Amino acid sequence: MAMKWYEKADPERPEIVSSRVRLARNWDEYVFPGKLSDRDSEEMIRRLELGLSHISEFDGRQYECFRLKEIDELQRKALWERRVFNSTIAGKKTPTGLILSEDEDTGILLNGSDHIRLQMISTGFHLNELWKRMDQRVDYVNERFSYAFDDKYGYLTAFPTNVGTGMRATVVLHLPTLSMGKKFNGLVNEMSRFGATIKGMYGEGNENYGALYEVANQRTLGLSEKEIIDLVSKVAIQLAAQEEQVRKLALEKHRLEREDEAYKSYGILKYSRKLTAKDAMSLLSQIMLGISTGVLKTEKPYQVYRLMLGVQSANLQKRSDRPLGKSDLDRARADYLRSELPELV
Amino acid sequence: MLCERCKIREANIQYTEIVNGVKTEHHFCAQCARELDFGPYAAIFDSDFPLGKLLSGLLGIGESQEDDLASQVVCPTCKTSYGEFVKNSRFGCPDCYGVFDLLINEKIKQLQGNTSHKGKQPKIRKQVAVKAVLPEDGTEVEPTVSWDQDVKEQICILDARLKEALKSEQYEIAARCRDQIRELKARENNGAEVQ
Repeated sequence: MAMKWYEKADPERPEIVSSRVRLARNWDEYVFPGKLSDRDSEEMIRRLELGLSHISEFDGRQYECFRLKEIDELQRKALWERRVFNSTIAGKKTPTGLILSEDEDTGILLNGSDHIRLQMISTGFHLNELWKRMDQRVDYVNERFSYAFDDKYGYLTAFPTNVGTGMRATVVLHLPTLSMGKKFNGLVNEMSRFGATIKGMYGEGNENYGALYEVANQRTLGLSEKEIIDLVSKVAIQLAAQEEQVRKLALEKHRLEREDEAYKSYGILKYSRKLTAKDAMSLLSQIMLGISTGVLKTEKPYQVYRLMLGVQSANLQKRSDRPLGKSDLDRARADYLRSELPELV
Repeated sequence: MLCERCKIREANIQYTEIVNGVKTEHHFCAQCARELDFGPYAAIFDSDFPLGKLLSGLLGIGESQEDDLASQVVCPTCKTSYGEFVKNSRFGCPDCYGVFDLLINEKIKQLQGNTSHKGKQPKIRKQVAVKAVLPEDGTEVEPTVSWDQDVKEQICILDARLKEALKSEQYEIAARCRDQIRELKARENNGAEVQ
């Protein structure tokens, strides 16, 4: 079985956890999914699947074709936790198709919010590369299906927030040190002025556990795809550079405290018998920080993000053969981490 | 100028009405204006109108009436009304953009900071491909067909044009249509790679 994208370590820029490019397109033969009857949806999905059935030959990857209604709620939630699609799609009742590569890094969602939603995702900082690959794929699809396009508004989408390029470029950043500082909120506001949105990934309200932040472009119209990639890249690099700086400073001034925190976190995760999602994420964040600053050393480069996805409830549930209650989940989470946590050298 | 209603007193009120994009101008005297029903604006012509009433007339009620009219604009393709679009922030089909163009222009500008697309153009455009097969002046252009189902569609279009040309006795154009249909059918049958 192929390695999933989130299992691949990319130690080059440790503050940047993952990159993702998403394009929304609509086939000009049908009205948007919100107005499409179930029958027409089924017909359109079937035609799209048929037209794209040879995509493996195009890029040499193995693809699987699903209908969302064929997979159970749990599996859907697990796919959502692994960022294959968003929460709206996870709960969608009307016909929806999914063509997903074996390593889950390339996905084509059919009849989601728009007819065709292409997504490419990877660990590390690879927005440019992803866009280049995406550009070829979106043309491949276009050779089979003509897109709804307007000279003024660009690619037409169901939501006006996606019109134009239909592109959302997203980078997940790990900012455990920077986000502790008082100036962080000011910094976030400043970045928004450049046309990027920044939001915490896990936790509700003001709470954030795991210190993962998602940076994405705000606008999709009036900027070229390359300009969007550059904008998000700039903001991501800026934040990553600041994080790197404060990490260095913290390590220089308080090495013992930093080491203590990293090893204690490792110890708790290694020997716990029960862990809430919040605790697990916060401790994994410390491990992620420890490995990337060299305080903790693993034999081979290790992607801690895979564990962060693995401890989410639907993904834990999927590993179990019986339904888990809240307390069972906390236990399963501790079991999972004890077995999956990498050995230190 | 005299009041257009009583034609006796001097007109000192100019009233501009825009209905479905058609602008009409009226000139009334103060007395006639009071007697006419101007809805929320009627208060203006009362000798002792309160300022608050004027403001609510100008900002609130007046605007909602305008919105009411706009919200009844319906996209003929998917039957989405403008009101529905405003409520859900969601278009029903690609044609909505054209139908609501004048109404959404400002909103899209607020949302996106821009109203014109700058990025990638589609590699293949259906309309361009169809036009290229037989432009208006009848010049022959190599058909640009890229996918199977469109070959059938283009044959249909060419067939319709052939019949039209025959009807209007444009035999030269009809002959070209016939040749291109033949070519397309041959390509389809051979299953040849078409670019």
